[in-house]
Amino acid sequence: MIRVTIDGRETCVPRGATVLDAAGKLGIPIPTLCHLEGCRAGTSCMVCVVRVEGLKRLVPSCAFPVREGMVVYSAVPDVEQARRAAVELLLSEHVGDCEGPCQRACPASLNIPLMLRQIAAGQLDEALVTVKRDIALPAILGRICPAPCERVCRRGKVDQPVSICLAKRLAGDSGLMKAEPWSPASDSGKSVAIVGAGPAGLSAAYYLRARGHACTVFDEQAGAGGALRRDVPEAVLPRAVLEAEIGSIQNMGVVFNLGVRVEGPVAWEALRRQYDAVILAVGPVTADEAILLGVQAGARGLQVEPGTYMTSQTGVFAIGAALRPLRMAVRACADGKEAAFACDQFLRGGQARGGGRPFNSVIGQLTETELQGFMQGAGPGPRREPRKGRAGGLEPDEAAEEARRCLHCDCRKEETCRLRKVAETLAVQAGRFAEGGRTPVIWNRQHPDILYESGKCIQCGLCVRLTEQHGEALGLGFVNRGFAMRVEAPFGADLSTALTHTVDTVVSACPTGALSWRA
Amino acid sequence: MGTEEISIAEVDALIAAIGRDERSLIPILQAIQEKYRYLPQAALRRIPEVTSIRPTAVMGVATFYDYFRLTPAGRHQICVCHGTACHVKGSERIQEAVERHLKLAPGQDTDADGEFTVKRVACVGCCTLAPVVVTGSTTYGHLTPNTVAGMFEDFRALGEDAGAGGATPLGEEELIPEIRVGIGSCCIAKGSQKVREAFVTALNEWGIRARVRPVGCVGMCHETPLVEIVWPDGARQTRVMPSALAGGLVNPAASTLYRKVTPQDADRIVREHFRPRGAGKRLRSSVRSVLDRLLTMPGGDGLEKAALDARDGQVCAFLGRQVRLATEFCGHLDPLDIDTYTGHDGFKALHSVLTGAGAEATIAMMKSAGLRGRGGAGFPVGEKWAVTRGNVDPVKYVICNGDEGDPGAFMDRMILESYPYRVLEGLAIAAYCVGAREGFLYIRAEYPLAVKRLREAIARMEAKGLLGENVMGSGWPLKLSIKEGAGAFVCGEETALIASIEGRRGMPRLRPPYPAEQGLWGHPTSVNNVETLAVVPWIVRHGAAAHAALGTAHSKGTKVFALTGKVRRGGLIEVPMGTTLREIVEEIGGGVEEGCRFKAVQIGGPSGGCVPAALGDLSVDYESLSHAGAIMGSGGLVVLDDHDCMVDMARYFLRFTQEQSCGQCTFCRIGTRRMLGILDRLCEGTAVPADLDKLKELGKEVSQGSLCALGQTAPNPVLSSLRHFENEYRAHLEGRCPAGVCKALIRYTVTDRCIGCTRCAQVCPVEAIEARPFEKQVIDADKCTRCGLCRKACPSHAIKVESRGGVQPLTTGRDAPSTIRGTV
Repeated sequence: MIRVTIDGRETCVPRGATVLDAAGKLGIPIPTLCHLEGCRAGTSCMVCVVRVEGLKRLVPSCAFPVREGMVVYSAVPDVEQARRAAVELLLSEHVGDCEGPCQRACPASLNIPLMLRQIAAGQLDEALVTVKRDIALPAILGRICPAPCERVCRRGKVDQPVSICLAKRLAGDSGLMKAEPWSPASDSGKSVAIVGAGPAGLSAAYYLRARGHACTVFDEQAGAGGALRRDVPEAVLPRAVLEAEIGSIQNMGVVFNLGVRVEGPVAWEALRRQYDAVILAVGPVTADEAILLGVQAGARGLQVEPGTYMTSQTGVFAIGAALRPLRMAVRACADGKEAAFACDQFLRGGQARGGGRPFNSVIGQLTETELQGFMQGAGPGPRREPRKGRAGGLEPDEAAEEARRCLHCDCRKEETCRLRKVAETLAVQAGRFAEGGRTPVIWNRQHPDILYESGKCIQCGLCVRLTEQHGEALGLGFVNRGFAMRVEAPFGADLSTALTHTVDTVVSACPTGALSWRA
Repeated sequence: MGTEEISIAEVDALIAAIGRDERSLIPILQAIQEKYRYLPQAALRRIPEVTSIRPTAVMGVATFYDYFRLTPAGRHQICVCHGTACHVKGSERIQEAVERHLKLAPGQDTDADGEFTVKRVACVGCCTLAPVVVTGSTTYGHLTPNTVAGMFEDFRALGEDAGAGGATPLGEEELIPEIRVGIGSCCIAKGSQKVREAFVTALNEWGIRARVRPVGCVGMCHETPLVEIVWPDGARQTRVMPSALAGGLVNPAASTLYRKVTPQDADRIVREHFRPRGAGKRLRSSVRSVLDRLLTMPGGDGLEKAALDARDGQVCAFLGRQVRLATEFCGHLDPLDIDTYTGHDGFKALHSVLTGAGAEATIAMMKSAGLRGRGGAGFPVGEKWAVTRGNVDPVKYVICNGDEGDPGAFMDRMILESYPYRVLEGLAIAAYCVGAREGFLYIRAEYPLAVKRLREAIARMEAKGLLGENVMGSGWPLKLSIKEGAGAFVCGEETALIASIEGRRGMPRLRPPYPAEQGLWGHPTSVNNVETLAVVPWIVRHGAAAHAALGTAHSKGTKVFALTGKVRRGGLIEVPMGTTLREIVEEIGGGVEEGCRFKAVQIGGPSGGCVPAALGDLSVDYESLSHAGAIMGSGGLVVLDDHDCMVDMARYFLRFTQEQSCGQCTFCRIGTRRMLGILDRLCEGTAVPADLDKLKELGKEVSQGSLCALGQTAPNPVLSSLRHFENEYRAHLEGRCPAGVCKALIRYTVTDRCIGCTRCAQVCPVEAIEARPFEKQVIDADKCTRCGLCRKACPSHAIKVESRGGVQPLTTGRDAPSTIRGTV
């Protein structure tokens, strides 16, 4: 056994072990991309570099053998900086959108392509789960949302954007008659007062309740809904829909205390004492009102910590129009969801940190050829107007047809991509090394089950090593050298003949979305 | 181009003759390419069908090395050299002129008739002839955009008989005068083969008994072709000179050295020195008196020719500071004449190791001699051998690394061409010391002459029992073979070199384990550079102390440099470690041209750095150079003057390494590319101030994080020039190029001194000047390629180079030497 010290902690590993093995034994996390247990080292990504005492350069821990008495540093600034630089360099030639433009444009960050795939497959229940993960009031928003997602939809560059909002409405409407998909988690024993039953407050209540907290919604109006009830005409948002969607929140166990105005310092103090946290979703707040509440305010509204929505008072959060003038209900809903997340962290005894927006790789402008590439595999035809008229919404069959028009701009490995995870963990600047002429977006659809997007490939060589290791007759190999290096099937072979029994292996090993299952 | 008319049977035959395992792949591909001038798909597909080589390996290897091409090539290959020396002397303009001449569209490399394929090559090692183009076996040097058309004409006129000149039979070893003709690549490029034939003809014609002896490179490449007349007594005298260190010196009393000799001069030189038979006895005494002075021979074609006396100041300075170990007996040895080599103490070292000293003592000797690797990193040779020897694995290998790829370096080429036996002797000693029975010489494909001579040398040594089953009767067997590279700079890195010998893509791997522990096919392998091995026999013969007496505290012995660039006397030099840069540039090299200012030395090629003239007193040794941000490297030493832009130089080197990156690790594959992007923006005047910081940060990250030495040292030219010449970088941020080099930042304009002679319009290769007799000429800035021909042609100095804020005054009246040509 060999003694190694990493970041001041000592362990013993067998001869022949690598620094990465030793770190694993100590539970010290070292990010990797081109490494896979059971596969020979690739020493390609260099994201796993460490500093070894006595050496001038950094070394890749995945392949560097341990020596007796070796002293290694992993959590030191220059190592972290190098890892960050490696990922930033990889991202500078990585062409792909983690999330589709629609999802990035959606204030609530709804995973629209996934929802559309589910709708296209007739899986409305699954679509509802997807929708409600990010939007508490889909039936309502499906009628009133100005749909910023549709404005950026790439299909719009070909003919018209996908009818996203109506598709979401269908999913939302399907939920009105069913049990709530996100039933509350076990009781946390904590309670939250939500002041204001507008879209922000309702959304916050929904997500806090879903996380097991006891929620009471206060509103001075007799009916919940705030601006939704007050400002939206019945013809646009039938009251029955409003009531039904609020009803489903009520059914989760959220208590509505309506027609009650929380007024004056005494009532406010009582509320603070009675509840573990308070969420202010009271709509526009004047400076005087802010003084009464005892929270700091600026010119536009209450001031909160970015990301967590916590005001200057610990445990008091503020969302929606209380912060700034709002034009979109979906923004208010998003506030509610995000504040609920931060509030949940706070209630569980931790620091409210918020979720933050995940790391996103972004393609930017597409060329005409690339757009044509995106169109492959998308359903034909122009945008469907509902048979029953816009107010009537899409029927399931119409919605499925419409959903097929989606170009699926999102990455199929959105959730599992190791590059994205590492980028997020290391807090990289995605555009640090961006250059004008980027790699083109190219799809290889030769294989019936998988997609190969060479622009997402980081040349880690895992697929090359694995197809060789598992005895693929053709397999994948590197061609060219240096910056021009690419992974290809030899002799221009079709991907479906190059990959036979190793498809599963290479798709799951690929650390990016370069090799992925087709939707 | 597309239909592939190839015979599978032919391919099968090639494969059958070479082998069917992975290690045969590169030779197979080389054979196929040799046959079809490219690699036809059908041939490539055939390989995995009849061998054990995987399809991915075939494609991976075929697309990794520069030598291979997958599309049909023209009947002739035009290689435009872009080595450092060629770059500073305008190779880009030559490239453009060649492409214009062949009417190539952008991205195209073969002309419409399929006659010529143009290739950019890193360095053909003829740096003193820069800028150089190699077509087939003919080398054209000192080209200008305007002489490119003439080059094509000449090449077509040469036809098929180019390079025919056969070996001249040598007479018995007897004491007759010798006419020694240099046959290094530089000499040959300048026509020494023809010169040699002319001397043979002249001697025959006059019936004079003298021997024409081909000799290896003398190092005075700036004076080639060199011809030396040596009298027998003089030669004797040279050979017994007391100090071994002086062995290479030309004995002034006994010989005459002619430089820049043409075939036409042969007859005249012969008549000057020898009395034709029947005309009485030799005119020896009168000749002697002639030898004592510098003899100028009026040349018919305007080329200056003169006999050089070693007592002449120039020659003394060039040779005087030099100490020859690796290049011992320089100018005395016919490269392939094994008897002369033996006569000059050849194989004595090997013999003494085999019969007396033994392996352990020899390793100890290398250690106490302080011999460090001459390939760049300077690792102690004795230690490397000891580790290899100490390994329990009974199978061990030695490799001679002759993949010299630095643009601007040709030391190894010259040593291999001129002293093949010495390198082989050194390799044999290494093999014996580490306990190997097999060794390889990995030689760049761009050095065909070296490959040819080494092959022949190995065969002759085997015939004499100096290699083979029973080396020198010691009972120890040694098999040496040659592996030709296929064009990948990274294969100079030892682990990549090993991968290449094994038949794979030249991808380096992480060290440790070092090759000395786990190398070729997993066995302990000692990889040593050409120059290192060439020094080994000297050390064995003269003892460790003699070697350790030379040099500095930590850098012992000598170092061979290829001195090129803006220096008057370029060539191959060998100096003791610790010699200062100024001594090399000023004394040996004769300084820069009249009117120019010595600005910096680029040392160590793409892995090295720029040392400013202000640090001219820097001692040339491993430690001092590394401290100044450069490295010893393999020995390229390019002198830069005030007309060289440091940003352009940095970009030049980075483009080189970037193109040569194997692509394995992120920092080198993408990092160097991003650095190059910033340098491109600087040279185009579109960079922003933040780019400089980014360049520095990225440079540090690439050098810290890259897997192998190529990536780790790639930022050196950038970081060192940023360190010493940051002002020049800042000028580029403002859109200025003070040296007047960066095309996008300068303009050629005509001043009022123009007399309307239209000479500029006549020489302009791109019609950027419309001839307007007796008027002031106008240069079309969009068409102008900034080649500078108009400036040189203008009799009234009316054309000036403008950059914002002005450029340093450019010297005038420097005529380019006429184009020269030679055939290997």
